[in-house]
Formats: sequence, C-alpha cells, structure tokens
Amino acid sequence: MYKLLFVCLATASISYPQTRLAGAEPEQGPLSARAFLNQYCVGCHNERAKTAGLMLDKMDVGQVAAHADVWEKVVRKLRAGMMPPAGVKRPDRAAIVSLASNLEADLDRAARAKPNPGAPALHRMNRTEYANAIRDLLSLDIDATELLPADDSSAGFDNNADSLGVSPALMERYLAAASKISRLAIGDATVQPSEKIYAVPNDLTQNYHVEGLPFGTRGGILIKHNFPVDGEYILAVELSRGGGGVFAGAGNTKGEQLEVSLNAERLKLFDLQGGPAPEEDTALPGLQVRTAVKAGEQGVGVTFIAKNYVQVEDTLQPYQRSMFPGAVWSVLPHVGSVTIKGPYKVTGVGETASRRRIFTCHPANAEAELPCAKQIVSMLAHRAYRRPVTDQDLETLLGFYQSGRNKGTFDDGVEMALRRILASPEFMFRFEREPATVKPGEPYRVGDVELASRLSFFLWSSIPDNELMKQASAGKLKDPAVLEREVRRMLADPRSEALVDNFAGQWLYLRNLQSISPALEEFPDFDDNLRQAFRTETEMFFNSIVREDRNVLDLLTADYTFVNERLARHYGIPNIYGNRFRRVTLGADNPRRGLLGQGSILMATSLATRTSPVLRGKWILENILGVPPPEPPPNVPTLKENVKPTDRSTETVQAPSVRQRMEEHRANPVCASCHKMMDPIGFSLENFDGVGQWRTQDGRAPVDASGQLVDGTKIDGPAQLRAALSVYSEQFLRTVTEKILTYAIGRGVEYYDMPAVRAIVRDASKDNNRFSALILGVVKSQPFQMRVKKPGEAQPGATLAAR
Amino acid sequence: MTFVTRKHIPRRTFLRGMGVTLALPLFDSMVPAQTPLAKTAATPTSRFCGIYVPHGAIMKNWTPDKVGTGFEFKPILKPLEPLRDHLLVISGLEAKTAGPAPGESGGDHSRSAAAFLSGARAKHTSGVDVHLNTTIDQMIARKIGQDTLLPSIELGIEDVGYTGICGYGYSCAYVDTISWETPTKPLPMEVNPQVVFERLFGDGANAQQRLARREEDRSILDSITHDAARFRKTIGPGDRQRLDDYLDDVREIERRVQIAVKVSADAPATDVPVGVPQSFDEHCKLMFDLQALAYKADITRISTFMYARDNSNHTYPASGVNVSFHGASHHGNKPAAIETFAKINTYHMQLFAYFLEKLRATPDGDGTLLDHSMVLLGSSMSNANEHDHAPLPVLIAGGASGRLKGGRHLKFEGNPPLSNLLLGVLDKAGIEQDSFGDSTAKFEI
Repeated sequence: MYKLLFVCLATASISYPQTRLAGAEPEQGPLSARAFLNQYCVGCHNERAKTAGLMLDKMDVGQVAAHADVWEKVVRKLRAGMMPPAGVKRPDRAAIVSLASNLEADLDRAARAKPNPGAPALHRMNRTEYANAIRDLLSLDIDATELLPADDSSAGFDNNADSLGVSPALMERYLAAASKISRLAIGDATVQPSEKIYAVPNDLTQNYHVEGLPFGTRGGILIKHNFPVDGEYILAVELSRGGGGVFAGAGNTKGEQLEVSLNAERLKLFDLQGGPAPEEDTALPGLQVRTAVKAGEQGVGVTFIAKNYVQVEDTLQPYQRSMFPGAVWSVLPHVGSVTIKGPYKVTGVGETASRRRIFTCHPANAEAELPCAKQIVSMLAHRAYRRPVTDQDLETLLGFYQSGRNKGTFDDGVEMALRRILASPEFMFRFEREPATVKPGEPYRVGDVELASRLSFFLWSSIPDNELMKQASAGKLKDPAVLEREVRRMLADPRSEALVDNFAGQWLYLRNLQSISPALEEFPDFDDNLRQAFRTETEMFFNSIVREDRNVLDLLTADYTFVNERLARHYGIPNIYGNRFRRVTLGADNPRRGLLGQGSILMATSLATRTSPVLRGKWILENILGVPPPEPPPNVPTLKENVKPTDRSTETVQAPSVRQRMEEHRANPVCASCHKMMDPIGFSLENFDGVGQWRTQDGRAPVDASGQLVDGTKIDGPAQLRAALSVYSEQFLRTVTEKILTYAIGRGVEYYDMPAVRAIVRDASKDNNRFSALILGVVKSQPFQMRVKKPGEAQPGATLAAR
Repeated sequence: MTFVTRKHIPRRTFLRGMGVTLALPLFDSMVPAQTPLAKTAATPTSRFCGIYVPHGAIMKNWTPDKVGTGFEFKPILKPLEPLRDHLLVISGLEAKTAGPAPGESGGDHSRSAAAFLSGARAKHTSGVDVHLNTTIDQMIARKIGQDTLLPSIELGIEDVGYTGICGYGYSCAYVDTISWETPTKPLPMEVNPQVVFERLFGDGANAQQRLARREEDRSILDSITHDAARFRKTIGPGDRQRLDDYLDDVREIERRVQIAVKVSADAPATDVPVGVPQSFDEHCKLMFDLQALAYKADITRISTFMYARDNSNHTYPASGVNVSFHGASHHGNKPAAIETFAKINTYHMQLFAYFLEKLRATPDGDGTLLDHSMVLLGSSMSNANEHDHAPLPVLIAGGASGRLKGGRHLKFEGNPPLSNLLLGVLDKAGIEQDSFGDSTAKFEI
C-alpha cells in the first residue's frame, strides 16, 4: 500500500515538480473559494485589469447562479489546467479540482432548481438525413448531392438547426427532388437518358488489388449504380491522364487487359495495345460496352487483369504513388473514370426493391384500386411524417392519387401521392408540437412521437422505423426501461453507422480529408489509397468503440488500431499484406496508440507542405481539453512563409525548421497570448510529418519534440503527451459528451447545458465510461427530452403593434 | 436613364383578393413584364452577366498600349478582336478589398472571388457568421429580375463540397461563389448543366411533359399552403416563424412556377444536356449556351459564372498547356512559365469570345442579345505570382441596350478601386447610388 502510494506521488512529482515543491504541506486544508480566487486569480482578473473581460474580485462566489455563464467559463479553464496559467504561482491540481468541483456543485444545484433545457430551432432535414430517410422509406439509394445543395454547418456539425435555413431556391430543389425520387421509386418508362460520371481520383495508385473486385485483378473501381428502369445502358471507360492532364496512364505497357463487369459477371475484356498515347482531350475510342441492365442497384466493376505486380523495369525507384504529372518512368494503365449512360430502349420499369417496398398490395380490379391506394399511402405517410396519419392527410393524398390515376395508371396515381408526401413540409421539417397550456419560459417534455424522431435522427440520421414508431404511438417512450431498450436496439442496428459517418466524420475532420492534398514535392509517396486508408482506419477505430461498447477513453489510449498493407507500410508495421483492413495490437510505447497517432488527424491538422504545431495544438485544446482557442484577431499578420505557399521552389534547404518559424509567434505579444498555449502542445507531435509518417529528422535538423501542456507539464513526444493528457480524462469525457450532445440536439451547447453534461459524465463513469452509457445519458438528459417555450417570442409583433 | 420595368400584380396578391386558388386565366397584368421583345413595344430588356476568372493574367500580354479607340489587341485578348465594337477594355483598377486588411498578409485567394462583385472585404471567419456585401448582380436582379421565372442563375465549373475552412481561416463560402443575395447569404454556384437546364425549362422528355409536371408542381404547392394553415396552430412560436418564412418561399416558387408553365410551353427544342461533361472545354461552352438560352427565353436576365475557384488546379488540355491553373499562375517570373500562363489566359478568352459570339448571333427584339446585355468579366488579381490586386484585367462587353459604346480602352491612373467601376455598372443598370463597397468615385463608362 505504502509502495503504491509512493509510486503515485513520484508520478505526480514528475508532472508537477514546481507545485509540489511550492505548496504541498503548508496549504493542507482546502482554501475557501474566495480565498483561492483572491490568492490565485484576482491578480489579473480584477476590475482594473479586466484581463479577458473577467472581474472575479467583485463577483459573489456564493451566488453562482446569478452569473452561471461566467462561472461555467471559470470552471472550464480550471478543469482544463489552463488557469492559473503556467509560469505564475499555481496551487496543486487537487486544490484546483476541489474549487472546480465546489463551483460545479453550486451550478448544478441552481440548475436543478430552475431547469433550462433550451429549444432548438425548427430542424430541416439536411442532405445526408434526407438521403437516409429516402433509403429507409422507399428502399432507394439516391445520390443526394445531385439533388440538393450542400448544407452549411455550425458548431462543428451540419445538422445544426440554426444553419439549416430555407430559401426559394432551396425549396425549388426539394420540390424537384420530390418529383424525381417518386418517379425513380415507382419506375418511369418515359425516363430520359442521363449520364453519370464516376471519376477515379487521379492520385489513386492502381497497381494493386481493390477490395470488392475479383482476385487476380488490379486497380479500377467498383460502382454501385442505381439503374432507373430495365433497359440498355452504355458503360464507358476512360483511362487516366495522370495528375497533369498528360495521357499518362493509357500505358506504355503492352498486353494489359481491361475487364468490365456487371454484378461480378464479365461483360467484356479489352486488350490494350500500349504505345504512345494521344495528346488530344479525347477518350480512347471504343472502351465501352452497351448492355441490357435490370432496374435497381447493380454493381459495375472496371478493373485490369493483374499481369504482373512488378513495375516495368526502369532505372528510377518508383514512389508508392504510381502516377505523377509528367512522370518520367513507365506506368501501368489506370482507370480515369467510368460513365454510365442510359437508359436506351426501355423494356420496362422492372421489379426493384423500392417497388416491392411501396406496392404492398396489387389491385386485381378497378374496385380494389382505391382501398389498395389507401393502404399504400397511409403506410408511406405514417413513416414519412413520423406520426399517426389523420383523415385529413388521407383526404389530401388520395386527392393527388386520384389526379394521377385519372391521367394514367394506378402506378401514376401512387406516384403523385408519393410526390406530394415528399414535398410536404412535414416530411422535410421536424416540427415539434407544443402543448397549448405551456407558458413562456416553462420547460416541458416533448411528446413521445417527437422524441422518436429526435432519437432516430440522432442515432441513425434518418426517420424512425416501425418498431420505434409503435412504441412512440403507444406512449411507451416515457418508460425509461423501454427507452433504454430502444436505444440499445438502435445502436445495435447497422443504421447506427451514421454515428461514424456523420458524428465522427465531422468531429474528427474525416470528411475534410478528401479535400486535403499534401504537396507532391514534399510528400511524393502520398496517394489517394493512403488518404482513404486514413479515413477507414479512424472510422473502424471509432466504430470499434461503438460496436464493442468500449470505454470512451480508449479513443486516446487504445492498444490497437486497424491497418491494411498500404497503411501498415506507412506506419512501419511489418507483415501486413493485401488491401483488407485488420486489427493490429500496438505495444505500450507505440506512438500510433489512440487518435493522436492516426494519420487522419495528423494530416488534417497539417498544411500542404509541412506540419502545423498550431493546428495540432488547437485540435487538442478544442477536442480533448474542451477549451478551443479564439480565432486570431483581425489585423494580425500570418507568418511570412505563408504568404506564397506555392513558392516552395524558391525555398532552399536552409529553410528554418517549423519550430524556428513558430518562434515568430512569441515575438508579438498579441500572438503569444494564444500561441504559447497551442504551439508547445503541437511540438510534441513533431515526430509525425505532414502526412503522419514517423520521422526523426526535419530537414537537416533532428526533430525536437519537446513542448509543454497548458498546465506547464513538460512533454517530449507523443507517448508523454498521451500520459500528460490522461490527467485530464474527466475533461476529455466532458468534451466528447458536449460534442455528442451538440450533434444530438442539433444546436450549440450553451452554459446552461453544462449541468446536464456533467451529470451524463458522472453517470457514465459508474458504467466504466462505456459508449452506450454516454449515449443513454444524452438521450435521458433534459436538453434531449425537453424543450422550453422561449419567453418573449410568443407574439413578437403583437407588443409593437399594441403600442 | 433607368430601365423600363413594367409592374405586374403578383399572382398571389391577386388570388388572395379573389379568395380562390386555381385555374385562373393569365391576365395581362400577371404576365411577366418582359415577354419576348418581339411581342412588345417596350424598351429592350437588358441582361447582366458577371464572369469571374481567378488568378489574374499576364498583364503585358493583355493591356493594349493605346488608350481610347483604335487600340491594338495584345495576344491574350486577340480572340476577342472580332468583337471589338462590343468591347470595353478597362485598365488600371485595383481590387483593394481582395487584399489583406492593413497590417495583415496572406489569404488573398480566400478573399478574391468574394471581392469581385461586392467591393467588400470578406469578414475573417470560418464560421457561420460570414459577412460580405450584396453583390451587384443581385442588386440588378432586384431591379430587373423579379418578374422572370428565376431572378438570377449562378453557374460554376468546379464542384464545391468542401466543408469548413478554405485557407487562412476564411469560410469556403467566400471562395465558392461570387454572388451574394444579402451580406450574409452567399448563393451556391450550380455546376451540372443538366440541373441548370431543368431549372430553366423544367424536368421532362419534351416540352409537353415538362409543362405537365410544372402544372403538377403548382397543385402540390397550392395544397401545401392550404395544409400548412392547419398544423401551424399546433407548433411553437419559434417553429411557426420558420414555417411562415417557408410559406413565403412556397408562394414565391408558386409565382415562378406560374411563369414557368408559360415558358415551358415554348421552351427551345434544344437537346437536354446530359450530366457534367468531363472536358472543361465542353462544360464551359455548355454553361455559356445555357446562359444565352436563358436570356433568349427571358427566363432570367441575370447570371454569374466562375471559370474556376481560386487555387484551382484544373488543367486545360485544350489550351495546349498541361500545367495546372494555379500552379501556372505562380510563374516565378520565368519567361517560359509566363508564356505558359499566358496561353491559359488566352484560352479562357477564346471561350469568352465563344459566349459573346453566341449572344451576337441571337436576335432579340430590334437587335441581338449582345446589344441588350452588359457582360462584366474580370479577376480580382493582377499578377497572381505576387498575389497583387492591381492593375486588374477587366472587360465589359455588350451594348446594354444602347447605353454602352464599345471599341474603347479606358485606362485609369493611380489604381482606383474596382468598386468605382461597379458603381458605374450599377448606374447603367438603372441603379443610381453614390457609393458602393470601397468606392471613391463613380466611373462613367
């Protein structure tokens, strides 16, 4: 026991040498909050200095509720180790935590006495949610990016109701989408030919097998395409021109063969002749197949028969990336794009998954038509509107059915009704009905039916399924046991992968990876294969936390990750072959442990030509410690070298190291106030270059990975960074919870939500911080379950008019 | 001199008064003020088009030596020589607001597109609190675009789909578009010609089907407005406010569909474009064709177009150069690299000539579309190698319905702001005001 205690103390004294020496013994008894503030805070935060606009000398620490917003900020800075700042006299961590806990207890008590669950704005389905809803409603996969414009995001997520506005142009697109989708779902024999291009990224290396395509092939692309009707289509292939428009990948290699397949059945094998490529901006003639295809989603494969994985014998050592603008070595042909055109010669609307979903009955005669239409329309409206269907709904929809039926067939009638459903504001918006008796400022529980939508859009980014609707309609979601059972069922459902795609995808910047292009000159090995691998690794890693219901702290410390051959080579992990991802165990000192060792985040926090300790430090402050630094103030010049980022060619090998460049941040006091917190954290990751590869040299200088955390803890390298951050696991859990809550309720988390955040984390800690415990905590929290009728907005115009 | 715009009664207002909702005949007062000119005796309609080319140009190969009339065409502008009489070359301006604020540096590419038609400096933010200035195309759209099916169309070549930040902490909103409906509302640029065609002429195999679908849209919109009143009562006041905004939008679309129904009936027998052409050359020409078509059918009078986004690494094989656009713009003052970039500039002007020829070849009332248009093309950079913003390459083409005279080269000394010219352009569109953006004076053009 004694020995164990000693070890703990020793560890602590490494982390906090000064504080231990300075004030361990004399300040044994806890300081009163006021005494703490006077001793450590008001030196700067007083009425005269007004540092950061904070005046703690005159605030009544006994009445935190009066300034809950300010005290929440104080607590946050204390918890993150940010205050008092490193370099001034600091109390030990225990004293800081103790003060924070006391303040939190007071804040939580005040919140219990006067709850404020907030109120998200009216939520319009964003593009992703819309596509998922169509998938779940109609068994139809659409490419929403073709139908609807991109959504803005705020507070880090694109499901934030505040930024999901409306405009005539947008409504016009939703109206057009309703028309297109209903035709696609029912099948439209008059459909006009259209063309869809599937472009292969020009930095995709195609020398190896692509997962999903047959073994014994290399490169190419596997496409899931939705064919609107039975008919003939043209599948046209264009070979890659490489990065610079040169017709590079047409291949100076003879004897290559290109295979085009439909649902893994070979349609045609092309023999490529090799030789010099035409310079014209035209496709190689003849690389196309015209074939009959059934309606619905089908797999189109375009790939090369693998002749030999060995490069053509050139004297130059090729990079990992196979194609370069103006490459001087030989390359194998690569697929540049596949265009699917059609339909030509429509032979029928076909039997598709969506028709099976919609036509739950088939009228045998004219009499049976209306009852069948009624059945179909009720079922669709119930799910699309996510509430019980009323007689008035049916009356409207059957009117549209009838107008379509009058002009055409039974199917045309159903199509018109479906089109009306999809154009309805009740499909596009998530209205939450308000009990008539509620007074302004009064919080109330949202109805079960509304709660069902909140749940499904949170966990699935889509509409509720029948089971959830059943529980909601029966009013059973009020029962915590039923609610918990539903949440667990939904988490286990594959649709919960939306949490990975949309929540993790935005929180961890994974969606941004596609638009990041590291400079070729600096990172010649980088290719799209690596970019995709980065994304897959982090997605699978996050998914493992969800599926295996792990401790959320594993995100920072897990002893495993997922790699394929390309990524393993990048990371220096031996004996991994092939394109399939698999779990690998990482040793205790492996720098790849946890998110901070993953290429996705390391690249997303770098510039095109080099690492950015600033962005990396900022990422950690924001996503782990929960204290995002403010945006740089206007009129602050950026670093000189940034002025012309593309003028790298003029830079010589004597270019200063990244660390030297960052010194400039300290020269200017305005910059220094924030950068002294960001940069030194980022320095500890300097062993990872701009694409996350391990390095020991930066230019000519050896990498110096020494830095410090905001609390002054000295760190050197990623392992020490991880260790130093482990002190702040509580803060990390709160930060993750805040992000999840933001995403769940579709609005920014405010100071009045923090008591709920703390309660969620507190409860989850009793269940080993499991992912499901956090999710359940969010679902059961006030902001998720309730809303407040905003005071003062009842009749905004009325009071004015009365005067 | 102002544009003649006939007032029309919005259909909605009319219907409210009547207390009925459907199947009204089109009264003259509801017909868009500008039906094809051939059918009216009013002053010819003017159109406005704003075209943005990022990355500036090689100015020594652009700017004519001689000022005034009879100037010689330098290599980049050579493709426009056949259009001399319709062309105004304007030299010596500066896009000050594309540059950094005093004391700042960097971020030039992130602000340039935003500055072009706004005369304003983008507010430095990567969040939702973007702020610029209403752009002149949208001001003109308010003036002369309200009666057409679409007040304006915004077209581009490069898909956006980036999230968050587009360099130096600037929101992508500043880079993705040159058109801002209000200081806080950027309008997205559409890149798919098929989508543009459908917006202009409706969705369907032929004019008859397009018309039928528009009629159906109209009854759907009517039904939505009708239903909304019912559940409006059941929702909270915040939601209600948003619902009302939405219903206003629905009414606006209804009004447009009403016009569209008419337009669809005599839409051109053009082939519906299929998807996004892979070749830039084809894509760009198609976008120009669509603008000409939209003007011709009077579906819209205002359009904006971006050749590329700033920092674009598009390559233009048809220009004979295989270096990427942005890469080539950093020519490092090497003579060969300068020539390479100039070839790209020249190629872009060949495409511009294609557009102007198209407008010139399309009869419109007593003249041609080109006679009745005002097309502003330019960049917010000059020498992109240095990221500087003066002297800018700027052209104005078209006769603006007799208000503009071509064949001239105007040169301004001392690099006055581009906004001074924008103010002059507004003037020609019948919008008289004393200042715009960072203007210091109004240029008569």
